[in-house]
Amino acid sequence: MPPFKDEHILIIAPGSQVTLAQLGLPESFTPARYRFPTRMFPAEKKGEFEPYKIRERRQDGKPSNGTSAPKEDVEMKDAETSAPEATGNNEAAPKPENGEQEDKKDPAEGQDTNGETKKEAQQIFYEEDITSDEGAIYPLENGHIVDWPCFFALLTHVHNTLSPPFHTPIMLISQPAWSARDREAITQFVFEKFKTPAFCMMDSALAICYGYGTSTAAVVDVGKGKVDVTAVTDFLVNEHGRGIALEGCGGDYMTDRLQELLGSKGFTREMCEQLKRSNITEILPAGTPLPGTAATARQNPNPAAAASTGGQDGGPNDAVPRGPGEGTQTGPEGTNGEDEDEGVLDVAAIVSGNTSEFLANREKEKAEKSSSKKGSVDQSGKPIRLPNSKKEKASFQYEEYARLEPEKDAPNAPPRYIRQTREIEVGVERFLSATPKQKTGERLTSNILEDIATQIHHTILSVPDASKRSELWDSLVVVGNGSKIKGFTQALLNTITQKYVLSPSATIFTSELPSNFSTPMPTGGTNTPAPGQTGPFNTPGHGVNPLLVAATHSNNPTAGNMPGTPSMDPSMASHYRSTGHSQTPTSVKTLKPPEYFPEWKEHGNSNVPGTSGSAGMNNGPNAGPGGPGAPSGGHGMEEAVFLGAQVASKVVFVIDQGLSKGFMTRVEYNENGPSAIHEYSM
Amino acid sequence: MNPSIPPSTAEYGGDEVSAIVLDPGFSTTRAGFAGEDTPKSLIPTYYGKYTSEGQDRLIFSDDVFVTPRPSLSVHNPMGRDGIVEDWDMAEKVWEYSFTSRLTGPRPGNPFQNGLNDIADGELPTEMEGVETEEKPLADSPLLMSECGWNPTKAREKTIEIAMEKWGTPAFYLAKNGVLAAFASGKASALVVDVGASNISVTPVHDGMVLKRGVQHSPLGGDYISSQIRALFKANTPQPITITPHYLISSKTAVDAGQPSQAKYKTFPPGKAPDASYRTLLEERTLSEFKECVVQVWPGPNKLSATGPSGVSNEEVAKSNPGRPFEFPDGYNQVFGLDRYRVVESLFDAKAAIPDTESPFPAPTQAQTVPELIKNALNGVDVDIRPHLLANVVVTGASSLLHGFTDRLNQELMQTYPGPRVRISAPGNTAERKFGSWIGGSILASLGTFHQMWISKKEYEEHGPTIVEKRCK
Repeated sequence: MPPFKDEHILIIAPGSQVTLAQLGLPESFTPARYRFPTRMFPAEKKGEFEPYKIRERRQDGKPSNGTSAPKEDVEMKDAETSAPEATGNNEAAPKPENGEQEDKKDPAEGQDTNGETKKEAQQIFYEEDITSDEGAIYPLENGHIVDWPCFFALLTHVHNTLSPPFHTPIMLISQPAWSARDREAITQFVFEKFKTPAFCMMDSALAICYGYGTSTAAVVDVGKGKVDVTAVTDFLVNEHGRGIALEGCGGDYMTDRLQELLGSKGFTREMCEQLKRSNITEILPAGTPLPGTAATARQNPNPAAAASTGGQDGGPNDAVPRGPGEGTQTGPEGTNGEDEDEGVLDVAAIVSGNTSEFLANREKEKAEKSSSKKGSVDQSGKPIRLPNSKKEKASFQYEEYARLEPEKDAPNAPPRYIRQTREIEVGVERFLSATPKQKTGERLTSNILEDIATQIHHTILSVPDASKRSELWDSLVVVGNGSKIKGFTQALLNTITQKYVLSPSATIFTSELPSNFSTPMPTGGTNTPAPGQTGPFNTPGHGVNPLLVAATHSNNPTAGNMPGTPSMDPSMASHYRSTGHSQTPTSVKTLKPPEYFPEWKEHGNSNVPGTSGSAGMNNGPNAGPGGPGAPSGGHGMEEAVFLGAQVASKVVFVIDQGLSKGFMTRVEYNENGPSAIHEYSM
Repeated sequence: MNPSIPPSTAEYGGDEVSAIVLDPGFSTTRAGFAGEDTPKSLIPTYYGKYTSEGQDRLIFSDDVFVTPRPSLSVHNPMGRDGIVEDWDMAEKVWEYSFTSRLTGPRPGNPFQNGLNDIADGELPTEMEGVETEEKPLADSPLLMSECGWNPTKAREKTIEIAMEKWGTPAFYLAKNGVLAAFASGKASALVVDVGASNISVTPVHDGMVLKRGVQHSPLGGDYISSQIRALFKANTPQPITITPHYLISSKTAVDAGQPSQAKYKTFPPGKAPDASYRTLLEERTLSEFKECVVQVWPGPNKLSATGPSGVSNEEVAKSNPGRPFEFPDGYNQVFGLDRYRVVESLFDAKAAIPDTESPFPAPTQAQTVPELIKNALNGVDVDIRPHLLANVVVTGASSLLHGFTDRLNQELMQTYPGPRVRISAPGNTAERKFGSWIGGSILASLGTFHQMWISKKEYEEHGPTIVEKRCK
């Protein structure tokens, strides 16, 4: 088989909300070129699916000479509506859709040309309904494939849209929740439907490790409705103890919580979703007083002072000021109940944008919109900016579709929609998205952070190689669009620290140590260096306090130095037992993302809702972030899985070329059948 | 290959399916495809049960450990002696073990899997009836393991479930001792299996269990846990209580030996999980303790004896530096001699730490590992004893206790100074934990094993009693 080329590789990464796809590897790896919503709509024929919601509109054919006029209108408008959207970000009126529309209209057109006699004939228009996804089928739920025909239809749609040549190897990122049989079914489908010469199915956690350029990591993938926690050691996914599709822990939890808090104030779910994605929603470190509460009250009336302290920087301000100490505040968990009950915080109010007004002067608005799209949507008008975490209220831009009245001269034209934006103001509820829900349902844990932390602890503790555990704790990778909310990762680390990290080694050096215990050497160098430090007993985990290591393992040099002592033979012990097994975690850290992929650097948080992520409302593939330089819509390392998929494709298909059985070839498939995928799936 | 020319249409037409190997234990249930090196699915045999909205709900798998639920109680369908007590639940747990990660709930309707072109109008023909009859294992042969002392009734019940409930086309029931021997590549071996609820010693000769020699005692991992609890209770100045993580909202660092200053969680009344749940979660902490702290006195001689240099072994053990351990509530302490004492009774019944409240009665000398081995060897033919001693296979997760094999080696050398004693214990943790599963995986993927399967047809002809005849 001739070698595979970079530009032929097809990568598909299905997720519960968005399926990422790309044909060909660019010189420098970019975020996914295509983002398909993971949903299909039932087609007219039962058992078949359409990628777009098509609505049938019948209308009485209007007389005569103008028969072709409506049609022209349709197309014009289509182009018109899509134009600003394309410059925006997520909306490109999908080309295939246009084609389809035309095809389907052909008969109608034919009728028209046939004769003008059929004045009363009904014309059937098929049009895309962009305003709702009602009736959509989401084939993936919490990572599980719930609707196979629909899932396959989606894969086919992705494949057709990208229309790769036949000599295209396919890399498919698999969800941890897929069972072995699921993987076989997909393998069979891919080989028999797409006729691919080579196929690789890679576990998403592993792909994330490739993306981060690490061989060992504890991967936390926060999705829409679920969280996957996986311990990867030496590029090996530890299946045992893996947290697979932990339900109710994903981004939806936070939307639900926001809705719970704001629902009474007239917030719809879509509003909460966009609020969650906007950059005013944060998870504050525990102990930070909420703005507007007593502790910060004095700051509010004095915005000038705050402004002088450099409040101008619009950035998310990582160094969120710590609270004055635990004593003064009981922390968010304590306060939030009060907040709700007393109604301290103002009702979120809709500031601007009454729909009817809006429609009246839509032309003006359009212009405004396009201008606001071009620049970053900064509320630069505001003279003073406090850091978000200090503002009692903040507003975000809510986007929705509004139907335009048909124009007078063309009443037959299909309804047109524009996206309109309005600002909505929210109070401190925006900081409470990760707090415990009132309706806890069947859980007794208090919030998602705690659930995730517990799962991480369980997963790492289940890794059989105990010596790897501390390394895992120190290489936490938190990805997935659900983790995008500001402060999420930090809050998760705090939760872990609070619950699981062991107290500092100081507690170990007490009088309880045996008398012959030699004083441990903090630097490990000045005196006789302990030979055991380099021996097989050395804890490989970095970041472990050397004192702790010395204390817990100082028996090992003893064993090595004094063969007479009847302690265990080090070589035997190291053979039979994973060594260096001290309790973990002594510390917990996140892994730094690689810096050599410029396209994957976090871009300034754009405030455009809907761009950030998972696109409940986005239709069609996003032509979006084309080249470097174009705003990537803020897809940072949350989608590291796709970066990893590209790295892995390069390694598996181009560099390795199958020498180490990284992918399954067609020949092998023909010989061994789908179940052989388990020997290749990575 | 030209990228624009479609490939020739040669397609896979076979229907090879690999068998599923199911190795149910007391603490965990292992399942996976034959031919693989570790079981893909590992779930606790414990399951959780709670009531929500008037309905009983069951939780399987690791979720039990992670999410506490209101009034959750934890149960185990297996009895302490390794024999199933609650068949209905055992069936559910086992079924979950292979459906969750391996086979998926049900195979889909072939008409809708996107691979079959369907002519118009042919589609919605009545497939309903067919689909509902589909059973979870309808297309995979199943190899299951059992303990060496499984009674006939239990064996018959097992094949009944496999054939009638799961619809497997072929079935075999193998003794886990034999499988563990196969896993280390031996047809004859003395298998010492240290599990959670039992220690068993199984003499295997030419792939057959020598029934008279099979020995087992309850001094498994759970017994060690009970010893550790006894130690904690007797701890001075104050007894140590284990508070599992789910009861703690945050902890504060304290000095060793100082009382903990954790913030505890409160549950609304009537919602707190059952005591059995707490016990299960405490067990998690205890197994961490076993991994990090507990060590078997490596010998020679017992911990209570005097070493060759005239110093008592306890003194030597004391002089080894202790190991620190921090409990979920932040309490921490260094364990010195005590970490040897908790396991000493596996070898020396007199060394057991007394605890009147423990569910385990004080062990007798006959229950210790060396005695079990002695009895097992006494139960077999004199001629094969040396051969067995030269092939001692140690398996089971509790045998991973630090220093266990060294001590066992010492004990055997002392008891049998003549013949060559050779212990084979895989260094790889997974191989030790899943010894019998791996053996099953090897066995079921052998070509020669194909004639051993009990087919569905044979079962229908002879009924469940066939298992006694075929699976010796």
